[in-house]
Amino acid sequence: MSEFLNLLAAGLTSGAIYGIFGACLAVWFRVSNVLNLAVGDFAMLGAIGSAWLVQTGGLPFGLGIVIVLAGVGLTAWVFDRLVLHVAFDRGVGAHGIVSVFFYTFGLSLVLEGAARALFGTDVYGAPSIWSGPALAIADFHVQRAGVLVIALAVVSGLVLWAYLRFTVSGRAASACGESVIGSRIVGIDSAKFRRRIFIATAVLAALFGIVESPITGYTYMSGPTLSLIGVVAAGFAAFRKPGRAVAAGLVIGVAEAMLGGYVSTSYSDVLLYAILFGIIILRPEVLGLGAEPA
Amino acid sequence: MPPAPAALEVEGLSVSYGKFVAVESVTLSVAAGECVAVIGPNGHGKSSMVTAVAGLVRRGGAVRVFGETLPVASPGAAVRAGLVLVPERRHLYPELTTRDNIMLGSYSRTRRIRARQAWEDVAGVLDMFPELSRLLDQKAGTLSGGQQQMVALARAMAAKPRVLLLDEPCLGLAEAVARRVYDWLREMAETDMTILLVEENPVYALLVADRAVRMYKGLVERPEVAST
Repeated sequence: MSEFLNLLAAGLTSGAIYGIFGACLAVWFRVSNVLNLAVGDFAMLGAIGSAWLVQTGGLPFGLGIVIVLAGVGLTAWVFDRLVLHVAFDRGVGAHGIVSVFFYTFGLSLVLEGAARALFGTDVYGAPSIWSGPALAIADFHVQRAGVLVIALAVVSGLVLWAYLRFTVSGRAASACGESVIGSRIVGIDSAKFRRRIFIATAVLAALFGIVESPITGYTYMSGPTLSLIGVVAAGFAAFRKPGRAVAAGLVIGVAEAMLGGYVSTSYSDVLLYAILFGIIILRPEVLGLGAEPA
Repeated sequence: MPPAPAALEVEGLSVSYGKFVAVESVTLSVAAGECVAVIGPNGHGKSSMVTAVAGLVRRGGAVRVFGETLPVASPGAAVRAGLVLVPERRHLYPELTTRDNIMLGSYSRTRRIRARQAWEDVAGVLDMFPELSRLLDQKAGTLSGGQQQMVALARAMAAKPRVLLLDEPCLGLAEAVARRVYDWLREMAETDMTILLVEENPVYALLVADRAVRMYKGLVERPEVAST
């Protein structure tokens, strides 16, 4: 029983990572029909940037968090103005699925290169926001950072779900992804929704990186892996339902932990890629490999 | 006392795509409560003209709604001024429900409130389209062509338009469905709503229009070709 509970705790923690990146990917895809393949790099910037500011810059942790989140938000805004605005709003450049794929993939490469130049190749972990020994309830042990990670994922999923379900603004955001012309003729500024949600999800990913990095540590190369696992979770949510992406992420995380604990850790990666291949076969359109999404 | 301004004034409107001039110096005026049809063959600038009036594409020239000059390429400003477009091919939100499609017509008024309150604000449009009542929770993408056109009209009515722009409302619809659409349009035209209708088929257009103008090669060829 003890082993099961501790595998459950580990699975929920890693599942929260799947879930939050899946949610970030899903909500922006819903608005823009574009996968943000740089979402993991924003988390990497949050984690490494805040750790560097505290450890090397000597800044208080709270101030470091504020500076890093502001910097990530600014980076996302600049990318929107320089690339997405020009490509989508001004109609300059190509709009094919391959071209669009390279917009955020290119951003990922740029952020990775910039992080390597600024912070080197070391492993960074931000200070723990909630420090102390692991929490224990009978045989159930979970790290405090893990509790924060799960809580942030669940709260983010619930907030995004409620926003899309209960507010006119959320419905309007969905309409942008359904029909740009249809949204503009009723006065919805689709460019503003695309920009605001891109920035918000970048900042959320960075915050998540700060909260999670005490557990795993981050290097300049951490971003693409995080984006990839987000793709898996978002794939289970039809790339449009952030709440479901968090739930799917938690389930995948627990399944992976159980498989690793009771069978072999070798199979946990196999599970991840099997899921990804399943998406490619069953839902190819969401990865841009088949027909356009409806 | 100066005369009341026209509901819609278009003055010297031009639209270009690169070097291609789609609309050249079009001037027309629609009085309050009037229904004017713009007819002519496909590819001669009718849709470019009406989408430029609605702010969807950049234009030269001026567009005024009840005397208020609209900024260039600002569909949001057009909607807030009461100028609402029902576009060619409808452009609904296929994965959203019929209810959400209609409700978002009122977005410029209701964007800061909860979805349920916004729906209460616009539910009255179902009086005009009672058939939609049983389709409210169905995804718009699963509706028939005629039902989708009904949703597009209801979405426009939810915006409480002062001037309604209709671009080829029967494009792609079977004749029987097209005649139903024109029955709805005639009901709208019989209210005091101002309508500018773009229609390739003059027979349909003259079912509802008070008068018609013809566009040919981007120009309004004759200011008035028919009256009913």
